[in-house]
Amino acid sequence: MSVNKDEILRNEVNESSEVAEAGAEAAKKTLGFGFWLCAVWLFVISMFAILAPVLPLKDPGENFVQYEEQENPLTKKLEEQPTIPPYSPSSEHWFGTDQDARDIFSRTIYGARISLAVGGLTTLFGLLIGGSLGMLAGFLKGWIDKLVSGLFLLSLSFPGLVLTILIITILDRSLLTISLTFGILSIAPIGRLARAQTLTFSEREFVTAATTLGAKRSRILLRELFPNVLIPMITLAMVVVAISIVGEGTLAFLGLSVQGSSTWGKLILLGADISTLQTSPWVSFIPMSFLFLTVAAFNFMSDRLQDVFDTRSIYVTHD
Amino acid sequence: MVTFGSMSFLGDPLFNILGPIAGDTESPESLKIIEAAKAEYHLDKSVPEQWGRWAWDFVRGDFGVQFSTTGQPPVSDLIKERLPRTLELMFIAQLFALGLAIPWAVTSAARANSRIDKGLTMTSFAAISLPSFATAVLLYYVFSVKLDWLPDTYNAIDPFWGFSHDHRLIQLILPALTLGIGAAAQYARLLRTDMITTLREDFILMAKSKGVPRKRVLYIHALRSSLFSLITLLAINVGFMIGGSIVVESFFRIPGIGLAIIEAVLRDDFPVVLAIVMLVSCGFMVLNYLADILYSVLDPRIRNTEQGQQKKVTIL
Repeated sequence: MSVNKDEILRNEVNESSEVAEAGAEAAKKTLGFGFWLCAVWLFVISMFAILAPVLPLKDPGENFVQYEEQENPLTKKLEEQPTIPPYSPSSEHWFGTDQDARDIFSRTIYGARISLAVGGLTTLFGLLIGGSLGMLAGFLKGWIDKLVSGLFLLSLSFPGLVLTILIITILDRSLLTISLTFGILSIAPIGRLARAQTLTFSEREFVTAATTLGAKRSRILLRELFPNVLIPMITLAMVVVAISIVGEGTLAFLGLSVQGSSTWGKLILLGADISTLQTSPWVSFIPMSFLFLTVAAFNFMSDRLQDVFDTRSIYVTHD
Repeated sequence: MVTFGSMSFLGDPLFNILGPIAGDTESPESLKIIEAAKAEYHLDKSVPEQWGRWAWDFVRGDFGVQFSTTGQPPVSDLIKERLPRTLELMFIAQLFALGLAIPWAVTSAARANSRIDKGLTMTSFAAISLPSFATAVLLYYVFSVKLDWLPDTYNAIDPFWGFSHDHRLIQLILPALTLGIGAAAQYARLLRTDMITTLREDFILMAKSKGVPRKRVLYIHALRSSLFSLITLLAINVGFMIGGSIVVESFFRIPGIGLAIIEAVLRDDFPVVLAIVMLVSCGFMVLNYLADILYSVLDPRIRNTEQGQQKKVTIL
């Protein structure tokens, strides 16, 4: 997936680290307004997603067919006739309805539940496994390091989307399988970063000092190294969340995501046929804007964090 | 190997080949058919033997038969028919990507940190954040539905060269643009930082003071020495574009290998999925390896230095 491309880009960016530093200086090392705006957006959208069943949202599965008084051509009387959905945005339906007269806003919010869950689960899995494997490899060195680095390389030599399609063909298309597949794919990039960071920091003076003072290895790993590895890992984790949301959207768009659910990708697809686009583009554009804003927010926040904590230079690999 | 081993987890492929007969193990007649089918598709052999046969055939270019009622056409014929379409698509997409990215990056780098630069950087950021399927829907809406400039159908039979809606060249513009925009944004970001570094070097100052026109300095002198890492990213990106082309092909209904894999997944047609995954993975690895070599071969500045040897583009 595109984790890899981002990484390569960062490697390249580092070649002109002067440029990056100049940029960071220009930004005066603050997170900036944009960062907090993104944070607020993400907070709001995740609160909506978590609290969706409690909030007074319309039922995402219900058909809100609207009626209108029309003349019946047979009886020549005014009768209540159903009008043909999709309906355009109104005070009743903020973002309009789809072809089946279902409320787009509540469908998008309910879609966010799965999209965000995949993003969160993937990243959690990647951080836990990838982070600990990478740190152990970087800390213990020796054959463990060789083995783990080899496994990371192996996992990176497959194209992500194609591999995911293969795995969900063999297993099933549940939320857990998809998140785990993405999670496994995210182990290697996160692990490599953790390993590189651990290698750098384990040669620093404060680690030598701690060793000289007789600190246990577990203490060095957890109290001395872990805090330093954490911030760059978080910046990468945000990119991983964004990528796995996009990945899930892609699967849904291909009709291969969690069965029977309407995630963002599926909602976009449902509104993307030619007749719907002609008459009612909002059906696919509303979920698309939600997806775009969420992904952009994660990417932007990661970008700002890298600038402020100056972790860009860390993305250089140590091989 | 891993992929093949997992095949045994799949449902009984006989259902796809024979239909309802496969479930009927009672009557001797259908049992005979089942045995014959098993022997034909080598399903009666052990898993390692199946794998051995499959791998040997794969290397020789025979990808086996489809799990369908007739097994026709063979998987290799299917791929032979569809791969050229995907390659056409990716080639045009790369042309679009480069055509967009180079002016984009050069304009940006020439006035680094100006308003134009910031605007272009934000645009590339947005283009990276917009997933390819969303780009596809957006472009389709603008150019095909609203403006009606480009056709919304893809016709595999019509001649390639030509400029009416019935020619594949025109039909491929939208799908290729979808793939190209995402790639262009990445190329532009990379090229911009490289250009900014190059523009600080002495030979640019020399060229400027000699009185070489500004455009020539930018597009000839500076661009040439900034292209090295772009070329490697390009090689890697061909691999990633295969993933993107799955999405684009399925949205624009282009019968390439991307659409083939989706159709096969939905049909549980495992040999087709397996053959395509293996083919794509092999292509991906070869391209990554090429990128590795290219990077050190192309740039004479880092070819011989120790740093150069360490700082290959590693495939993270």
